[in-house]
Amino acid sequence: MALNVKVGLIGLLDMLKFANLAKKREQYINSMPAEEIKADYPINNFAKAMHPDYQPLTVDEIIDHKAAGAKTFIFRRSDGKPASYFRAGQYISLKLPIGDSFVTRPYSISSSPKQALEGKLAVTIRTNPGGFAADYMLENLKVGDEIKGSEGLGSFFYEQYRDAKHVVALAGGSGITPFLSMACAIRDGIEDFKLTILCGSRSEEVILFKDEFDKIMAETDKVKVVHVLSDEQKDGYENGFITADLIKKYAGDEPYSIFICGPEAMYRFVDKEVAKLGLEKKYIRQEFLGATKTVWEHEGYPADKKDQVFKLTVKQGPNETVCDCSANEPILVAIERAGIKAPSRCRSGECGWCRSRVESGEVFIPAETDGRRWGDKQSKEIHPCATFALSDITIIVPGEYY
Amino acid sequence: MAAKYDVVVVGSGNAGLSAAVSCVVQGKKTLLIDQHNMPGGVASSFKRGRFEFDPSVHEICDVGAGDDLGHVGHIMEKNGIDVDWVTVPDCYRCISTYSDGTPMDVTIPAGREAYIDAIEKYVPGSRASLEKFFDLIYEIRLAKVYMFDGTPNDSKYMQKHFPNTLKTCGYDSLTVMKALGIPQKAIDIIGVYWPYLGVPLDEVNFFHFGNMIDMYVTRRAVVPHHTSHEITMTFMNRFYELGGEAWFNCRAEEFLFDGDKCCGVRTTLGDVECKQVLANINPNIIYAKMMPKELVPEREKKLATARKDNLSTRFSMIYFALNKSCEELGLTDYCVFFSSTADSRKEYERLKSIDNDYNILISYNNIIPDASPEGTCIISFTKLFSSGEDWSKLTPEEYYKAKDKMIAKCISDVKDKLGIDITPYIEEVEVATPMTFARYLGTPEGTPYGFEVTSWDGVIARMTDIEADFNIKGLRHIGAGSFFGDGYSSTWINGDMTAGLACAEISEGGNK
Repeated sequence: MALNVKVGLIGLLDMLKFANLAKKREQYINSMPAEEIKADYPINNFAKAMHPDYQPLTVDEIIDHKAAGAKTFIFRRSDGKPASYFRAGQYISLKLPIGDSFVTRPYSISSSPKQALEGKLAVTIRTNPGGFAADYMLENLKVGDEIKGSEGLGSFFYEQYRDAKHVVALAGGSGITPFLSMACAIRDGIEDFKLTILCGSRSEEVILFKDEFDKIMAETDKVKVVHVLSDEQKDGYENGFITADLIKKYAGDEPYSIFICGPEAMYRFVDKEVAKLGLEKKYIRQEFLGATKTVWEHEGYPADKKDQVFKLTVKQGPNETVCDCSANEPILVAIERAGIKAPSRCRSGECGWCRSRVESGEVFIPAETDGRRWGDKQSKEIHPCATFALSDITIIVPGEYY
Repeated sequence: MAAKYDVVVVGSGNAGLSAAVSCVVQGKKTLLIDQHNMPGGVASSFKRGRFEFDPSVHEICDVGAGDDLGHVGHIMEKNGIDVDWVTVPDCYRCISTYSDGTPMDVTIPAGREAYIDAIEKYVPGSRASLEKFFDLIYEIRLAKVYMFDGTPNDSKYMQKHFPNTLKTCGYDSLTVMKALGIPQKAIDIIGVYWPYLGVPLDEVNFFHFGNMIDMYVTRRAVVPHHTSHEITMTFMNRFYELGGEAWFNCRAEEFLFDGDKCCGVRTTLGDVECKQVLANINPNIIYAKMMPKELVPEREKKLATARKDNLSTRFSMIYFALNKSCEELGLTDYCVFFSSTADSRKEYERLKSIDNDYNILISYNNIIPDASPEGTCIISFTKLFSSGEDWSKLTPEEYYKAKDKMIAKCISDVKDKLGIDITPYIEEVEVATPMTFARYLGTPEGTPYGFEVTSWDGVIARMTDIEADFNIKGLRHIGAGSFFGDGYSSTWINGDMTAGLACAEISEGGNK
């Protein structure tokens, strides 16, 4: 070979140097003291505090919003630590042992991130028809009770480099909660943007957090709340529904982002109104909808399956559980009913925390809430919170840490 | 009663996936566990709005194609892994300053001839030395195949066939490139890739660095068509197909011992017995927290002391989805390096600061047109840190501000250096920090890179005695913290090789 490379003076010594690399390494290692190995890193501890397996939460105080049929539960960390810091607008997933089941529910955090540093966290829960977990909490949860919750989750928060400096929030019912947290964060100097909230309620009497918002508005001119009453006409309030014209009226001339949070019926209405505004997609953000309660109305669903009950086999680590699963309920619900602690968070098909694998069987996944990754769609992975069984089925679910 | 397996693989990152598939291909009853709810480690994807992002991949080397398969390509073929790869046509554009302080803005294509032509254009007179350089790294390629094919190495054969490899590979990369007579400015251009190995040119062994250049330039890099989660799922589907079992959201809490032999794993889903453990966990975490202290070998304590300040690169990644196409925005390159100097030693020192100027821009749609919906594009930025100190000091409130600062820095980099303002088009933005990597990988300070391949601890020094660091019976380390260092390709190879050792030991029925 023509190539003849020289680095050092004598080629042979170079070869020896190469041959001795491992020997030299061993000599170097052996010249070191044998100290005790510590693997303790502030960066890892920080990550763990921000994203714990779960937060133990004790009910510290309950505020009853009687007329609105809602309660605010103020929790403190049971272990005395600060609550995991979060972005205003995020939700936590509460883990509720109800009877023999382990059920999770996502609730927007209604308190300020500032309070998290003091170990406090609040959610506001409203009764809703068929709302089995909400009713359980409203009726049973007392001061001093301990439950478990996740850290703050989701991407429903203000991001200065993405969103317009002015956010017009469209809230319906308990959908107001993330916006209370955002308003608090603005007041507390944690977030810096202009927030106009159009809050839909039936009547003045059932408005949530009217006093809280009035107080915040007195402290900062960056927050403005407009109550929109559908069933009542009253001075100082808008009347009717949240329409495109109403949004334009309060948005003003500067660019704005729309943030939407509320019940399913409200989305169906405001989506059409928002479409009239002709905004770019990036200026419209909405909180998760929840999984469909009427899967049989979705395109492609085999109607004859609707009332069938199938055998569901759940494999979790070395354990196997067999239970029933209706074709019209998300597979996750059947897993929970069977008393299995399986992971779940958003319960809207989006976050992927419940990601599981179908070993055998047929399923239906509504396109609207199919938040799976590309690679998972090609494979046998599903999000059980938004997937429905169409036959006897065996799935492999991840473990859970609580 | 504990579940029983031949092999338990702990950690389903790249090394774990490769090892797990290798084990089932060899007919071993294998359990793969991971503390996260899904497999992949950094080889994953995440969704925001209508976009799916790759969290980590830039360019994957050593795959090859057709008759010219690389080491990775061979492993994939052997183990039945078939990924939809897309070839990366150019190596990079780099906007920086040369070591002598003059401004650098070069675009370097892949392929030996095109690469040399381009550098000759920027640095006239470098052609002859570059030809020599490429001859040498080609010889290294052949030497590598010979050395790591699993059979004993004959020094006479090596002296005859790989004399230049033997003569150069005891040295650092800067020394060898200078000895080849490559002009400093050309070294600056070749050296752009140095951060992918984590240590500067005057430190990283030439065999390692030269081989990387060969793989990226001569053999060309590839990326998966549908994010690295596609690769992960290809591994997983193959693993399941061959009877492998996987438990996710399942943390290994400690390793179980029978005398001084590791015989199982205590997990959050129960105890598991096995003949061999392949641990894709940084070794120091195992020694400090996951096994009886009295069983930690003295030699491993010494190794940990020697490596005390040698954790390799930490990362922050900033991901944008823009509601304009790359074409409309004028983002023409797949990969652009922004650095303050091509002097790798100086840059390495600067990378200790959280406020450093280093950044790598990847514009995926330039080679994967359907990486995002039509009329949009996905770009990512990679920032590097050679120390975790600044990040370690942040409070929760400062943390979100630090993330915003990362976003602002990326916006200003493309504005100032490429003249492109992406501000009005940001539909989604997300920031991963060393904390994010620590959360998902569990590695020290979140490094995906293991320990620095310093002069005494280079990959070749580690690999010429592969079992030197495996001093716990029944347990072998895989992943970036093991012998082959960082990167998708290295950890796949490392996982496959180590699985081979473990399976062979089981088949022989004996203990090490």
